[in-house]
Amino acid sequence: MTGQQTFTVLSVEELTKDYPGVRAVDQVSFVIENSTIHCLVGENGAGKSTLVKMLTGALEPTSGSMSVNGKAYAPTSPQEAREGGLATLFQELHVVDELTVLENLTLGMEKSRFGFLIKSDLEDRMIKTLAAIEPSIDPTARVSSLSVAQKQIIEIARAASSGANIIIMDEPTAALSEREVERLFGVIRRLRESNVTVIYISHKLDEIFELGDNVTVLRDGKHIATKPLSEVNGRAELIEMMIGRTVFQNYTPRAGIGDKVVLQAQGVTNKLLKNVSFDIKEGEIVGFYGLVGAGKTEIARALFGADPFEGSVTYKGKPVGTTPKEAIASGIALVPEERRTQGLFTELTIRENVPVMNLPRVSKSGIFKARDVRDASLRYVDQLGIATSSIEKHAEKLSGGNQQKVVFAKCLFSKADLLLLDEPTRGVDVGAKTEIYDIIKELADEGDAIAVFSSELEEVLGICDRVFLMFDGHLQEEITNGPDVDIAHILNVVTGGHEGDVI
Amino acid sequence: MSIVTEPFQILKLHRKMSDEAFITMLVTMVAIGLFLTASFLVPNFFQWQNVVNLVTNNWAVISLGIGVSFLLVSGNFDLSVGGIVALSGVLSVWFAQSTGGTNPLSTGLGFPYPLATICALGGALAIGAMNALFVVRFKIPSIIVTLGTMMVARGIAQIITHGSQRNTNLPSEFGFLGNLTMFGTSIKLPVVLMIVLLLIAVFVERKMVFGRITYWIGANPEAADLSGIDRAWHITKLYLFSAAIAGVVGILLASEYQSGFSNRGLLMEFDALVIALLGGVAITGGFGSVIGMFFGAIILAVVTSAATGLVLSPDWQFILKAVAVFLAIVTQTWALARRNR
Amino acid sequence: MMSITQQTNASELTFGAKVSGFFQNYYIYFVLVAVVAILASANLDQFDLFERGNFLNKRNIINILRISAPLLVLAGTFTLLMVSGYIDLSVGSVMGLSAVVYALLAINGVPFLPAFVLTMIIGAGLGAINGLLVVRLNITPVIATLITLSLFKGAALLLVQDGVSAIKSGNGLKMPSWFNSYGREGVLLNLPASFWVAAAVTILLIIIQNRGTLGKYAAATGGNPTAAKLSGINTGRTVFTLYVIVGVSAALAGIARSSFMSLGDPLSGDGMELTAILVVLLGGTAFSGGEGKVLRSFVGALIIMALTVGMLTIVPAYYQAFVIGSALLLAAASNHFISQKGKAS
Repeated sequence: MTGQQTFTVLSVEELTKDYPGVRAVDQVSFVIENSTIHCLVGENGAGKSTLVKMLTGALEPTSGSMSVNGKAYAPTSPQEAREGGLATLFQELHVVDELTVLENLTLGMEKSRFGFLIKSDLEDRMIKTLAAIEPSIDPTARVSSLSVAQKQIIEIARAASSGANIIIMDEPTAALSEREVERLFGVIRRLRESNVTVIYISHKLDEIFELGDNVTVLRDGKHIATKPLSEVNGRAELIEMMIGRTVFQNYTPRAGIGDKVVLQAQGVTNKLLKNVSFDIKEGEIVGFYGLVGAGKTEIARALFGADPFEGSVTYKGKPVGTTPKEAIASGIALVPEERRTQGLFTELTIRENVPVMNLPRVSKSGIFKARDVRDASLRYVDQLGIATSSIEKHAEKLSGGNQQKVVFAKCLFSKADLLLLDEPTRGVDVGAKTEIYDIIKELADEGDAIAVFSSELEEVLGICDRVFLMFDGHLQEEITNGPDVDIAHILNVVTGGHEGDVI
Repeated sequence: MSIVTEPFQILKLHRKMSDEAFITMLVTMVAIGLFLTASFLVPNFFQWQNVVNLVTNNWAVISLGIGVSFLLVSGNFDLSVGGIVALSGVLSVWFAQSTGGTNPLSTGLGFPYPLATICALGGALAIGAMNALFVVRFKIPSIIVTLGTMMVARGIAQIITHGSQRNTNLPSEFGFLGNLTMFGTSIKLPVVLMIVLLLIAVFVERKMVFGRITYWIGANPEAADLSGIDRAWHITKLYLFSAAIAGVVGILLASEYQSGFSNRGLLMEFDALVIALLGGVAITGGFGSVIGMFFGAIILAVVTSAATGLVLSPDWQFILKAVAVFLAIVTQTWALARRNR
Repeated sequence: MMSITQQTNASELTFGAKVSGFFQNYYIYFVLVAVVAILASANLDQFDLFERGNFLNKRNIINILRISAPLLVLAGTFTLLMVSGYIDLSVGSVMGLSAVVYALLAINGVPFLPAFVLTMIIGAGLGAINGLLVVRLNITPVIATLITLSLFKGAALLLVQDGVSAIKSGNGLKMPSWFNSYGREGVLLNLPASFWVAAAVTILLIIIQNRGTLGKYAAATGGNPTAAKLSGINTGRTVFTLYVIVGVSAALAGIARSSFMSLGDPLSGDGMELTAILVVLLGGTAFSGGEGKVLRSFVGALIIMALTVGMLTIVPAYYQAFVIGSALLLAAASNHFISQKGKAS
């Protein structure tokens, strides 16, 4: 850092966000200094994303205040946030592939007369900004010819030249290769030199240490610490601050795990996965734990025949199919990550949602047995405790937890004996969460094999018998769950640390 | 979590009418209301024979509407049906015409009539297969594909008929099917066929797996894929069925008029779409019913025949259709929003 | 661990990608040259249907360009609309209605310029109706413009009195003598004003596409609507404006055709939506939006007109529907394969 004077560009005071029954962010206060790279860390559910949403205007705080550049700040939209001086680099890219780099940079800010663009210093300024942070990108190139990393840099340049002096970056390296990450870091450092403050959010602790000036740690919605990274004593201290001493862990070893291996994966490789091998036994609950983008969903989709892959996966001795249809026929079912867009038919009723994965079971020579359809829905509404006034209710009108139970009902109805559950409790309230865990355990006790793909450590350690740790498409390590599980070690592995880095 | 045996009764009590049934009911009521209104305004409108005519005069469009409605429910357009009507009719004539006529338009291939109809149907199915190929495999928007195949089908019919029609040198049995009256009444075979098709379609839509899969695909294509539904194959089948119905309609019309006319079925694809939309079928997601489509056809028929009865020029029909479809769409959106508030 | 190609920027594209990009940008001109060459080399005298001599004679070319004026004036705005990811199936009806209105005004004694301007304003109004249905009432573009297709067509038919098929001289009314000079009489290089208007509109649209906010916003709206909105672009207004200018150019097309045929035929635009889509697809515009060039569609329109007219000298007119339909499917399919290839490389 240069020797110039430091002052506060962003301060957060007693910021609180309540959801029904949950306090996601609890009286958080901290300040961010100018021209720094300020890292924000915390476990999943620590309140990071809620905090960021309040900063970018996507959510309104329940109480508390924020100020940016010395002025009170209460944005209601990303545009307002940008006008206030804070821009965001979203995870999905907002660039127009069909336009050139320069056209993208000036989009929405053009100077025009009678509808025609006129020359202004805007273009020159944009070209300069771009050249300052990444000279290798040709401003006249079409964006469609650029890599993901380069598109990201264009968004950063846009944010930097829009007048914002604070840029939030939420997991910007999730889709980048190692070389591209280095390039991005160069960009971020050059931004700092030109007096831009970067709020950097990442689970990858190595990145935090390499890049950050200061760090703010959140845990369970509370502010734990804000301090210079130079004063943090390595990964171990950071991880300790993130998890505290109490990871709620109520795993009880389960009896009834069979010896029979039902699923055997060998060297599964595709776009994201690299040589992943594992097995799942009868009656067992295995967990796949890793960060966003570590490859969990990709494994689930590959096993389910939804994505192509190389390598071999056999289920009950036979290779798994190449389409979901074949997978379902062989007894595999998937609860997908996005239940509203991938799992449910929201415009249809519960009764119409339940039977879809096993139509032969409720029909005879192509004709529905209406009674069986109704009974099936009623049975699962009852068995899974779906809170609804009627099976004729549209799935859309159910709460998140009940919607998820309908997706479960679909899978259970398919009579699958291997269930792939991708983020099974995302967006589900606490009560429904416990119920879903009970359902999972009960199914396993009945002999089903279950794979849980989750980015919540508590979830994985709460119900899984064995846990596979994922990082960057690799299956790093296999851990047998038990009371003596080393949480610091797990966090170290999934954040990219290597054996023996900690402790 | 043990299974309790008697929670079913409580749940059953709260069953209410589905949105689809609600809209279908609304459409039916509008159809009846319009008929009564027209009866007051137009002399001699309120007659049993007129009710019969409203249905029998529209057998072709209603039949086409069945295939078009199913495709709409699955999220796809089919504008090729009018062209297929012309094509299959012309083909059936050309195949059946005996060889050695005096000029090119009176010389055919001389097939026996049953074989001629089968081959004509094959031609219709080929267009359906082309629709499916372009929509499912090449992923080209169905509206563009079926506009293209509409032209191709009609274009082939025009080439075969040299842009006009073929009506000579036909075997005597050619006019049999289209003019056969049934049950000792004046009702012709095509009308009976339309009613049978309609009943089958209602059964398929309500009771059969095939029908519900169509709704699942329309409601959420991605979830349908992940639920093990073979979407590509299902849409292929829908296009083939739609083309087959259009093929049969074309063959029957050719038989009824004993001619293969390249402009037959002109704008029928639009009318089929119009009655489906009037009947509450929505392109945006697994919604609608064949019964609604049927009453949509009645609405259109009442409006146009009442307009003719009120001595409006037939040119009014275009405006009436436009206004009717517009009102149907706006009302449906409004009614559903209100109901589900 | 990304492959090398993904990390390169535009200046370092692989040879294959370069060739494919070049092909995508310029193939349309090769097609035009090829079509003209084939038609020119076919010795048309041997066909007994039309004896017009060589395809490439001056009269023939002027004739084709005169007949092409309606399509040429429409191709550019239609391209911009499709670039924004929307479609207008009502253009044929707008054409027909404009033709009728223009002829009605003329036959009732309104001078050329007021009649011309008034018809254009009506075209803008019709386009605005489309825009309102799509943008305000959120009706799917295909269905919204099918509704107006029927509505405008009905209006055009009603404006023509019963028992007559088009507005033309007769019943004591006479078309003014200036009526067909706009579409027929050579003003420059023996080409009529209608052609030059089409050329001017196309040039204006090329400038708008390259240097105007509308062209850029259309590409952004079609390419990535979310990004466009986040950048503060009013995508609704962009789409509305595009529908209005499509309406205006469809009115110009109607005027051109009506003047060329010396009558106001309500059905004179029938099938135009199909030809317009064909021309735009032929020019390489993707139906997914974002991509597409006005100039290439202009050339596409020339190809289609050369083919149609050229074809008339070789085969009977009743081959036309089949050829246009097949061409549409071919153009759509080849667009699909080219864009697939672009993604793969």
